[in-house]
Amino acid sequence: MRFTFLISLLPAIGASIAWAETDLATDNVPIAAPAYQEFCINVMSGFPNDDQIARYQFFKLTQELGVDSSPMLTSALDYFGDHTVTADTPVMEVIETIANPVLRQAAPELTIANMAFLIDFANVCDSYIAGQVTGLKALNPQLSEAEFNSVISEDALYMRQILSDSLFRINAQDHEIFGPTVRAYADALVTTRDRIEFTKFENDIESIEAIFMTDLDGRLARSNDVINQEMDRETLASSIEIIDEMNAEAKRKRKQEALYTLSRILGGY
Amino acid sequence: MKLNAFALSILSAGVLASGCATTAKGSSQSALMTGSAMQQLKTQAPAGGLLAVIRYPAVVDSAAKDAYRDAYTSSPIGGKISPATADSVEAQNMADSAIVKSNYFALSLYKEMAARLPEHTVLLSPHSVKLADDGSLTSEPITEAESLPSVVTIDFATYSFPDPKKMMNSEPLTFGDLVSPLVTVRTDHRAAVPTQGILLASQPLKSHAVGGNRKTVEKSLAQIEAGNLPTAIPEHDFISFISGDKQSSAPSQGLTLTGNSNAVQSYPVEKLQLNRTAMIQLNGDTQGIADPLKDIFSRPMADRIIDLINDTPVEKAAMMRRASAISQYDPSLAALTFVGSPKADYQSRYNYAQRLLDAERKYLSVQSLRLFDGIHNSEMGAQVRDMLTAEYGVLERRRELARKQNQATALAILGAVAAGASMGSSGSTERRCDRSGRCYEVQRPNYGQRILTETLINASIYAGTQAFAYRGESRAVGDNYLTSIVPALEQQTTVQVDLIDSNETITAIRFEDLREKLQTLYSENQRSLDTIATRCAYAHDGTTKSGTWLGECSGGMAAGSGVGVIRQANGTAIEYYGYTENGQPNGPGYMVVHNPSGSYSLEGNFNGGQANGTMRVSKPGKSDQIRTYKAGQDTGGASGTAKVMSPFDNRLAGS
Repeated sequence: MRFTFLISLLPAIGASIAWAETDLATDNVPIAAPAYQEFCINVMSGFPNDDQIARYQFFKLTQELGVDSSPMLTSALDYFGDHTVTADTPVMEVIETIANPVLRQAAPELTIANMAFLIDFANVCDSYIAGQVTGLKALNPQLSEAEFNSVISEDALYMRQILSDSLFRINAQDHEIFGPTVRAYADALVTTRDRIEFTKFENDIESIEAIFMTDLDGRLARSNDVINQEMDRETLASSIEIIDEMNAEAKRKRKQEALYTLSRILGGY
Repeated sequence: MKLNAFALSILSAGVLASGCATTAKGSSQSALMTGSAMQQLKTQAPAGGLLAVIRYPAVVDSAAKDAYRDAYTSSPIGGKISPATADSVEAQNMADSAIVKSNYFALSLYKEMAARLPEHTVLLSPHSVKLADDGSLTSEPITEAESLPSVVTIDFATYSFPDPKKMMNSEPLTFGDLVSPLVTVRTDHRAAVPTQGILLASQPLKSHAVGGNRKTVEKSLAQIEAGNLPTAIPEHDFISFISGDKQSSAPSQGLTLTGNSNAVQSYPVEKLQLNRTAMIQLNGDTQGIADPLKDIFSRPMADRIIDLINDTPVEKAAMMRRASAISQYDPSLAALTFVGSPKADYQSRYNYAQRLLDAERKYLSVQSLRLFDGIHNSEMGAQVRDMLTAEYGVLERRRELARKQNQATALAILGAVAAGASMGSSGSTERRCDRSGRCYEVQRPNYGQRILTETLINASIYAGTQAFAYRGESRAVGDNYLTSIVPALEQQTTVQVDLIDSNETITAIRFEDLREKLQTLYSENQRSLDTIATRCAYAHDGTTKSGTWLGECSGGMAAGSGVGVIRQANGTAIEYYGYTENGQPNGPGYMVVHNPSGSYSLEGNFNGGQANGTMRVSKPGKSDQIRTYKAGQDTGGASGTAKVMSPFDNRLAGS
């Protein structure tokens, strides 16, 4: 059976409590519970290790697959999935099975089980995955690029959509206990799709902004330089020289006038 | 002694004519600094919008040059001017110089505001002074800065009394180290209904600013009635003032940093004297580092503006301009954005539209930064600084001459008084009797006294003529400057026009491209709206159905959110923003009522077009009040804990 601490047939409530207890238990350990360490390492060994980009894509994709998953959903997947994926199954094989259009139509339970395996791995080994993602980003800054990551998010959304479609194909949405969870998951996909599309839109706008702002800035700077060359500060300097001369002349004239006035007054007197 | 009297009379006349000279002093403390403390921004820029736009008269269209000069010289602030002086070249130079100085000093305020507020939230909006279709003087923005929503706009200009002979007197002046700024701060009228949106104004401009906004309100209502979202932009208040546009009244109060009492803060016309050290630093500053206006005006003004922004309801200030800006991309969405909606389809679309406006805002902020750089930090700015330094030199020279004149005048007066006293007591008298026995008194000359008197008179006459000479020289210094600076002033103006024109041409071409690209991107990414905004009838309280509604409609009547406008027979015009049913306000709403005597607003719950519940009431000259209304009637004050149902709650919650 799948690697989970949940007993698949436990009622949903019981499963939630079990998950919560496990969470509490893991509070005492720094990375992951030792019980899952081997599982995590086993699964991760199936990830590409000769190419940073491919390795990052796999880890990031897995991380994104865990989004919006709740204990109830995990229980639902355990309940509806009908296949055992072992820890040593190469992750590539798991993904290919999920993406296989024939299997999706003919055996949705198989698709669900494979997705459940990946979601479970994303949840249980989240610290390992986050560590790998951060480490790879530090090694290769290109991996932080928004556009690159948005492609991975879209792939993850596509796979989650396959899961949701598979659940609906077997009418899981009408299940008495798990139905609301399945429907909520489908609704969350719409929100996530909106978010991803908006992020892509923002990335596109940011690119346009960068191009236009840089271009405008350059053009205006050049135009400013050209126009400022028209400015001849000598015009002002020569005006000021003329003003100085006029002022000196005015001073001389006033002095002369003062003397003349004085001599007239005093002469008359 | 007759000659003595004659000389003294000349002297007295001279001294009286010369009089005491004033030394063109200004205040080293602005009224803005009183009680002012460093203000921190406590609000956020509206979604897709700005916090402040600084408008200033930057260019005078060649066809409007004469009209502008005439209007400027015939609307003096702080005194009267004779028609002959108003027509003089010097007076017209003062008018031209006001444009150059406004361009330069507006940048000081911009620099301060941009440094204090978040990035890309302050824009410059240079205005072109031109003739309107009816031949009257008006101004229009040169750039697109005012097409975006903004919490406040600031109209800035510097002023000089147009009679250059009064340069050394107390009249307002922007010359050398003296600056007389004129300012108005306005928001959208929907955010400050009782004052038509005017928050602070220089005293002479106040009624024109209120009148200008009232005119914009009228245009805005007419545009809504025509089915469009308003785009009207008021002309610059200084241009409105000099062109004698229609005035309106609004309650006013002094400058304050405490609360909002729905009155315009009145800013007196000041003559500020810039710091001497900063003026000296201007000399040779080619990089625009020195800013002598900063401490005395720009910083305290920025504090006042930030305080006003903090007190202004951001969403009400931005909602109409934002809706108008969004309507360029998505007319179906625009009228729904006044109060927003929690629906996912609306939210999604609104987020995209808002992001487009953000892109516009950032793009236009590059233009403002380059305008600043091109004018302030370059040759042009260096020339203005050279000009200010030269003017400062002129003023300092005239101040020195005024001091000398005063000293000479004082000496002349002292000399005259002393000479008068000496004349009065000159010589002694001797009693003589003739042969007939008649006796009389004979003045016996005292030669020492006489020499002293003559010396005093001569000294007084000399001092008086010197006072005359200083006075004449001082005037000549002023006149020489004003007549000789014309070529430099013209060059400055020409280059300034070229720079702004080129800046706008380049920006506009690329702005069109940007908008096209944004439109394409937006269209490619949009999901459909379940409910779209259209135009239908607004019935208000049901007595008439002649109103116009832009927003959600059903069966030809307002039903849902949007904006409605209706005019009543008594001349009252009503704007309503919020929710409706069957054409009538129903649910949370914001009603703006424009009476011929003034405007007020009601915010809260409405039923059947009438206020019903706890309402926020904003009336002229009073702080906002929370009142209880029943079926449209005010039934008294509401309790402090009573909640006003605002239509903007959705938006404030982040939608």
